[in-house]
Amino acid sequence: MPREIITIQVGQCGNQIGMEFWKQLCLEHGIGKDGLLEDFATQARPIPTSLSALSGSGSFYSYVTSLGIMKHEKRHTGGDRKDVFFYQADDQHYIPRALLMDLEPRVINGIQNSEYRNLYNHENIFVSDHGGGAGNNWASGYHQGEQVVDDIMDMVDREADGSDSLEGFVLCHSIAGGTGSGMGSYLLETLNDRYSKKLVQTYSVFPNQMETSDVVVQPYNSLLTLKRLTLNADCVVVLDNTALNRIAVERLHLSNPTFAQTNSLVSTVMSASTTTLRYPGYMNNDLVGLLASLIPTPRCHFLMTGYTPLTVERQVNMIRKTTVLDVMRRLLQAKNIMVSSYARTKEASQAKYISILNIIQGDVDPTQVHESLQRIRERKLVNFIEWGPASIQVALSRKSPYIQTTHRVSGLMLANHTSIRHLFSKCLGQYEKLRKKQAFLDNYRKFPMFADNDLSEFDESREVIESLVEEYKACESPDYIKWGMEEQGEASVAAALDSKLVM
Amino acid sequence: MDHPKTLDLVKELVLRLLSAVDSPSSDAIDELPRALRFAHRLLSSRMAPSLAPDELVLAETIKRQLAACGRSSDALAFSDLRTKLSARSSAPGSIRNRWALLYLLKSLSDARRREPLLPSSTTTGLPALSLYPQPTHQSPLAAKKTLPPSCGILLVSKDPDNIREIALREYGDIVMDETEVSESALVRDILFVSQGIDGRYVRFDKVSDRYEPPDLLKLPRSMRTMVCKLSELGWLFRKVRGYITESMSCFPAEEVGTVGQAFCSALQDELSDYYKLLAVLESHSLNPIPTPGSVLGVTVNYLSLRRLAVWLAEPMVRMRLMAVLVDGCRSLRGGAMAGAIHERAQHGDPLVQEFMGCLLRRVCSPLFEMVRSWVLEGELEDTFAEFFIQGQAVKAESLWREGYQIQSAMLPSFISPALAQRILRTGKSINFLRACCEDNGWATAAAEAAAHVGTTTRRGGLVYGETNALEALVVEAAKRIDRHLMDVIHKRYRFKDHCLAIKRYLLLGQGDFVQYLMDIIGPELSEPANTISSFHLSGLLEMAIRASNAQYDDWDILDHLKVKMMEHGDGNRGWDVFSLEYDATVPLDTVFTASVMKKYLKIFNFLWKLKRVEHALIGIWKIMKPNSIISCIYTKEGAAVKAQFVAVLRRCQVLWNEMNHFVTNFQYYIMFEVLEVSWAHFSEEMDAAKDLDDLLAAHDKYLNSIVEKSLLGEQSQGLIRILFVLFDLILQLRTHAERWFESIFQLQLRGKSKLKTKLKEPGSYPDVGRKAIMQLAGEFLQRMGEDLDKIAKEYSVSLDAFISQLPMQQHVDLKFLLFRLDFTEFYSRLSPSK
Repeated sequence: MPREIITIQVGQCGNQIGMEFWKQLCLEHGIGKDGLLEDFATQARPIPTSLSALSGSGSFYSYVTSLGIMKHEKRHTGGDRKDVFFYQADDQHYIPRALLMDLEPRVINGIQNSEYRNLYNHENIFVSDHGGGAGNNWASGYHQGEQVVDDIMDMVDREADGSDSLEGFVLCHSIAGGTGSGMGSYLLETLNDRYSKKLVQTYSVFPNQMETSDVVVQPYNSLLTLKRLTLNADCVVVLDNTALNRIAVERLHLSNPTFAQTNSLVSTVMSASTTTLRYPGYMNNDLVGLLASLIPTPRCHFLMTGYTPLTVERQVNMIRKTTVLDVMRRLLQAKNIMVSSYARTKEASQAKYISILNIIQGDVDPTQVHESLQRIRERKLVNFIEWGPASIQVALSRKSPYIQTTHRVSGLMLANHTSIRHLFSKCLGQYEKLRKKQAFLDNYRKFPMFADNDLSEFDESREVIESLVEEYKACESPDYIKWGMEEQGEASVAAALDSKLVM
Repeated sequence: MDHPKTLDLVKELVLRLLSAVDSPSSDAIDELPRALRFAHRLLSSRMAPSLAPDELVLAETIKRQLAACGRSSDALAFSDLRTKLSARSSAPGSIRNRWALLYLLKSLSDARRREPLLPSSTTTGLPALSLYPQPTHQSPLAAKKTLPPSCGILLVSKDPDNIREIALREYGDIVMDETEVSESALVRDILFVSQGIDGRYVRFDKVSDRYEPPDLLKLPRSMRTMVCKLSELGWLFRKVRGYITESMSCFPAEEVGTVGQAFCSALQDELSDYYKLLAVLESHSLNPIPTPGSVLGVTVNYLSLRRLAVWLAEPMVRMRLMAVLVDGCRSLRGGAMAGAIHERAQHGDPLVQEFMGCLLRRVCSPLFEMVRSWVLEGELEDTFAEFFIQGQAVKAESLWREGYQIQSAMLPSFISPALAQRILRTGKSINFLRACCEDNGWATAAAEAAAHVGTTTRRGGLVYGETNALEALVVEAAKRIDRHLMDVIHKRYRFKDHCLAIKRYLLLGQGDFVQYLMDIIGPELSEPANTISSFHLSGLLEMAIRASNAQYDDWDILDHLKVKMMEHGDGNRGWDVFSLEYDATVPLDTVFTASVMKKYLKIFNFLWKLKRVEHALIGIWKIMKPNSIISCIYTKEGAAVKAQFVAVLRRCQVLWNEMNHFVTNFQYYIMFEVLEVSWAHFSEEMDAAKDLDDLLAAHDKYLNSIVEKSLLGEQSQGLIRILFVLFDLILQLRTHAERWFESIFQLQLRGKSKLKTKLKEPGSYPDVGRKAIMQLAGEFLQRMGEDLDKIAKEYSVSLDAFISQLPMQQHVDLKFLLFRLDFTEFYSRLSPSK
């Protein structure tokens, strides 16, 4: 009865980071490219029969004893749970609980021709028949999603039925393009509707806003997706391409980082944030427990991540001494955080942490944790909200025994920080600019949602995002508890919220 | 003697005697009381003839004497009479003391023969009784002439001139015999006395409890002192011999024991040396002591009192030591005896030291043999309970803790308590291995130890005085056997694995397992306790094992995991009685005893409760999670209701956040500051533990530190009570929340369906229900707000109490908890304002 998590990767970006994620998980669990366990990770399967079967023939006994020896060896090497993210086929090979979806075949074909082609369940791959993609148009993606909802939900249902106690879904996508944002948005709404009791977490890649993008309608797409992320997701892990690029350049000294390189950063974060689920310990063994402490108020569920020490594949950085304090201190530095801060200095000083969870991996003496926390508090390195108690949570997790790293300790930070509102403000600003010019709206009017020049969807989305920004801002004040009760005139927001139900 | 009949008889006899001597005269009457007193004194004296009471021999002597006197017919008559007398022995009224009778007769006859030499006017004593009526009014000369023939007379007749002189000398001899003693006689007496036998003069006086020459004896003062001094030896000897005989006679009895036996035999040996000396001395004593005048009899080996004193000086010291020991050890046994002797051996005099050393070597040898067999074989060869280690029959699980004890009374002082502990543990380890671990490998370990130490390990090879050798043996044996025991405990019985399993399952370290268990067993436990079958719960436990990573654990270990239902009363829910237990088997139940498992149970219940609270909180979060319908506000108009809703919801969220903060941080505290830290220490100490005692101590420390730090100790009872109040409030919130959100959900759904129908068919339904719904919602939210306020208020009161009590606790670690709870100084900022 593992708390299974189904990963849904949508669109070009979603599939790329998804693939990196699975690569990383396979490595960490000692699973080969074809889904079979590597020799070094040979692990005893669960004892196949109930104890009553033990009273069988003598040969069975010997089988059990030989198994026992294997088990014994295993206990010192593994200790991981593969069944959260994988299940086993009849031939014992491991299959990711992953659904691959795209409206154009390029990336998925790439995966199917790669070394990992036998890893995935082929029934779980969906490529649109016409293969034309969504043309970077959210409306197109959304509409196409609507068209193929039966096919997609069949796949989802099948996976969900194959799980004993489904914990929830993880969606990987970008919010700028067409498929990931549009089809992803549609999926979010559907999942929310159909699996309302299950968690929906997303890893959402935010576009690079420093350089001019080839996708000119990106602000529209982002806004429309953000609305769904706000209303229909339980937790959004924000992966800001701007910051990822910056980190690749500044921290990893890559002059011109490729997508593969930034994606490997993403996969590192994704795998690290799931370690406590995959290596059970005393606490944080399920996704809901992990998220609940991070997200005390439902609307503010956008998480920033930070990771240290960072390395990119085959690129060995200088090796530093890593202690718990080092790791925790570095995680709090803005330069290691994978979301760009667009805040002005004054605003930045107002920004507060709502919650922090540090997942420390590796060989850690638990007594160091307390000292590190003490040091951080003494130095006043963190600003927390004032309307309630808060603290840095530290989870210790094992490192995969199959991957050799040069660092003794590594850490991931998941943080709920109010400065993320500046990212949304930035999105809003870009949208406003484009919207004022009425640019590129024709592409959207082609689709039913915007037919008849009904652009209310844009307005509603804008209002939802504005109220989100406001809520984050309110969190910075000690009077958050009372916030929103005086300003009762905001019927429009309520209307926007209603629209979700109307849908 | 005191019998009136006897007294009368004696009086009668004396009267007759007196009347027989002097014909009736007033004299006789005057004499009577004095004579009577004398007779009494004679009769009550314990002077015994120095002859063995043998009737036949005496009879022969008498016959021979008669024959020698030429009275063979009398001799025949005597023998005939005696036969008749003895033939009548069984008849009533017969004479019992035939020997005494004969002796009396013989003495009388002898006395009569000497009588004429005695002056008739004896002032003391009874008049001699003659067989023949004495002629009265005899002149002394005439009396002399009527003397019966004797050797003296013969001599006189040969040399009539000398008669007077000879008689005088003989008389002098006799008087000297009585009143003045020759030194040689005294020497002989002393020799006798030294063997505990009464001498002729020097006798044991019970009243003054010593040997002394009678006061009557005329002795020069110096000689008397000397005799007294020397006769002390006899007194000492009596004591020692008395002890030996006493001990030997009751030997198989427990009071003596082998050590006592060894002590006796050592004393006996010592005495036999002493006897040899006495024999030599006795032979010397036969040589006459040269008198100042004599020149002829100068022999070297004569024995005077002074010489004797020199001879006996050393034996005296030894004897005195022995007597002291005998006195000191009379009531002691075994190790206590050895200890008592050892204490007296601490003496500056090398003679004493050497003597005591010899003695102790003998005395301690049984003790050392016991140590040897205990340390190398684990055998308690101690039939008389003399060893300082005592075993008692106990169950296997308490063998280690209670099976063997040190009897401090029996611990000789030359074995230090530390060494004794070590000895105890070594033998105990062997027994433990043998009885509980069914292991025989210790034999090799013991043999190795023996080989390593070398020669001192033979039976009887250990000797008193070589404490180093003993220590070396014990240390070697202890080291090896302890190491072997640790090996067995760790390798064969996988101690650490069991500890880890307990940590994983009883201390909830295996998170996924605990979670599933909570998931599947939770609904069950909400039922009343008496309706729950523990069999069913066991099934659920097994399910949880199979569903979690616990399935990869060794089934040998998982089999120890059991469901335990505690005693339950009325109204108890399953939550109150459910617990897990780890069922430790021999030999690990020595570590995990019932009381230890009780502590684990206590910890488990606490952690389980904590988990349950966490579970409840997560449950609340899941109901109002971000994308749930509840988090969205349904209403187009009714801004008042909306605001109310937002307010209530946010208050609920904030309260939830506070609770969650508390529970989460409490759990982090438990994990990092309590469980992991304690485990890290334990793990270190476990690896460092050299023997089972270390291991037990380490484990106890580990367990106690967890109990203390998780506020389960005695000192934190107030705190834990508040904690449970907090937990109960959280669980209350959970129950409430379920109800509230179910209602809200219903309201939302109704509103939603209304909205939908309205949109689909505008105007088809008039907006009748809407106001009613709004009103309903308003009322509901009102009630919910009130309930929420109540819980929030109680919660914050309790939490304040908890936090304000934290710094008052004595443990250092609770500071960590406070630090975590108040990381952002939220509470310390809050409290001054109050």
